[in-house]
Amino acid sequence: MTKPASPAAHAPERQPTDWKSAAMQKRIRRRYAAERRFRMLGAGAVIVSAAFLAFLLVTMVAQGWRGFTATELALPLDLKAAQLKVTREQLNSPAADLALASGGLEEAVQNAAVTAFGPDGASFLAPSAWVWVRDAVKRDPSLLERRATINVPAATGFDQALTGDGDAAMEAGVARLTRQNAIRRGFNWTFLHESDSTDPVAVGIWGALKGSLMTMAITFLIAFPVGVLSAIYLEEYAPKNRWTDLIEVSINNLAAVPSIIFGLLGLAVFLGTWEIGGRVYGPMLPRSAPIVGGVTLALMIMPVIVIASRNAIKGVPPSIRDAALGIGASPIQVVFHHVLPLALPGILTGTIIGMARALGETAPLLLIGMRAFIVTPPGSFTDPATVLPVQIFLWSDEVSRGFVEKTSAAILVLLAVLLAMNGLAIYLRNKFETRW
Amino acid sequence: MTALSPAPHKMSARGVSVFYGDKQAVKDVSIDVDMDKVTAFIGPSGCGKSTFLRTFNRMNDTIASARVTGEITLDGADIYADDMDVVQLRARVGMVFQKPNPFPKSIFENVAYGPRIHGLAASKSDLEAIVERSLKRAGLWEEVKDRLSDSGTALSGGQQQRLCIARAIAVDPEVILMDEPASALDPIATAKIEELIHELRGRYAIVIVTHNMQQAARVSQRTAFFHLGQLVEYGETDNLFTAPREERTKDYITGRYG
Ligand SMILES: Nc1ncnc2c1ncn2[C@@H]1O[C@H](COP(=O)(O)OP(=O)(O)O)[C@@H](O)[C@H]1O
Ligand SMILES: [Mg+2]
Repeated sequence: MTKPASPAAHAPERQPTDWKSAAMQKRIRRRYAAERRFRMLGAGAVIVSAAFLAFLLVTMVAQGWRGFTATELALPLDLKAAQLKVTREQLNSPAADLALASGGLEEAVQNAAVTAFGPDGASFLAPSAWVWVRDAVKRDPSLLERRATINVPAATGFDQALTGDGDAAMEAGVARLTRQNAIRRGFNWTFLHESDSTDPVAVGIWGALKGSLMTMAITFLIAFPVGVLSAIYLEEYAPKNRWTDLIEVSINNLAAVPSIIFGLLGLAVFLGTWEIGGRVYGPMLPRSAPIVGGVTLALMIMPVIVIASRNAIKGVPPSIRDAALGIGASPIQVVFHHVLPLALPGILTGTIIGMARALGETAPLLLIGMRAFIVTPPGSFTDPATVLPVQIFLWSDEVSRGFVEKTSAAILVLLAVLLAMNGLAIYLRNKFETRW
Repeated sequence: MTALSPAPHKMSARGVSVFYGDKQAVKDVSIDVDMDKVTAFIGPSGCGKSTFLRTFNRMNDTIASARVTGEITLDGADIYADDMDVVQLRARVGMVFQKPNPFPKSIFENVAYGPRIHGLAASKSDLEAIVERSLKRAGLWEEVKDRLSDSGTALSGGQQQRLCIARAIAVDPEVILMDEPASALDPIATAKIEELIHELRGRYAIVIVTHNMQQAARVSQRTAFFHLGQLVEYGETDNLFTAPREERTKDYITGRYG
């Protein structure tokens, strides 16, 4: 081998670095080029994702806005001439609905449509049109004694003919009624306060929205305290040994388990029955209800909250703990007075990510029966209910064309709820972060 | 060891050893801490000064692998006895850390926190009085009295360290442990801290860890020199610096290593 050269004597004289040489210039150019390439790649990635988002939003809004508007027809009515067999007393009694129905109101409305809009006039009205008239009469009984014009919902086919998507008879009707100036477009309040229906004109999102809110409430009430307390225990109290390592690995894996597995778990545990010693036990929770959906989703997002909370707690500088312990704070005071407030922004972020995931979840809820056809919003946590994403899934599966715009409209509602939730998270985070 | 005597001391350590797992960081150390004297721990980095200091308020309890043997007493009572309440002990034996660590709260809250959790203030005005007195004793009052609601972390390093001293003082401790309280500070802030230690002496028993021998000579009346976990020499500061008995002490204070 070579013997070590004594540096001073034998090393060749080093030339001073020529910073202006061609080789140097080339290096510099290459470095700048690499920098530019990377910046462009990054900007490209951002543009692509922004484009996807914009495309999604534009299609949804383009299709969905009609879901928020309704086509109504101004129907001239003469209920006095129709000679309904209804008395004033009946109108003021709880049986008013029944009295009006059996008194021939539906027929009277259809006759009025024929009179006003021509022989096929009745087919322009939505099947629920007479219900609108009924409600109007109940609000104002004098309608029975005089002529009046009432706005009633148009049939789905008529609504589609309006966008050039209906059959010939309806198209003719649209042309005729346009000339009569009887077509109105208004905000679709029905969509906001009704529930599912087989008729796209009569469907509403409120049932699913309320179901979602109730389910989320259960999810939050279970997942947040349990998740945060687990995180505190694991970080601050649990001894570091093989068991806690095992728990940590399990939690990390649980966060990656596909959501449908949690649906199966919920189905088996909460809705399952067990036969023990000849007696049948269970199910623990009612099918299709927000409570079972909420508990199932809570199990699903708990690992996410635990992991985020543990990281947030880990991020609190140990010097703060030392400071508090050093003046005699007990471990629990250290946690609640110092660690938690500092970790809260991170904990909230993790919680919101988990809640957003739960809000958009469909698969596990299908398994526990939250895909039922729900025509009345759930009145309690144990009533059958559905949730926004499942409602979207159900409507997207409908054959009737009228459901397309309702599906998009429902997606917009879901996005709005998501945005509201994220907004709340950002607000809370800033509130806690800017305190000092 | 000349300074060790059976007379009642504020705190005494007898035959204290500390282990981190199997590794012994402090080896059979005995020392006394008295009210009217500032005790300095000097020695090269890693020789166990901080570890030993933290046995006096049982801060080592927070380290899972740490184990302490021997006896440490406060007013004659064994602080590692089962009936000693750690929370109360740490109120009586306060601590100031190497890196200033104010809470990310207002200056007022930083000082008020201790009295509040220990229930030392009967009323709001009482609490305000405690805060003012503590900040005055820590020599910080004049600088912060107009901005008590500002964040403690917005102060300069030296001010933060004095705030931490005020925070320790506010719970009315008997002993104050300081672990290199000025090592992260500039010379002017350091001088202020040293001055403060002079003023606090007598009211509190003070133990200060420092790797700066001049500082030990300036602020302390008694010095303990540690090396590799052992207490090499312990005595009156003047004697130790002018006439060290041990060869290793002499090497250290003449700058041969460290
Ligand atoms: N938490 C700990 N776990 C294990 N070993 C430690 C720990 N803290 C300190 N030590 C070791 O104990 C010895 C003494 O450390 P320390 O008391 O911090 O020294 P000093 O304060 O004198 O610089 C060192 O060897 C250090 O590596
Ligand atoms: Mg140290």
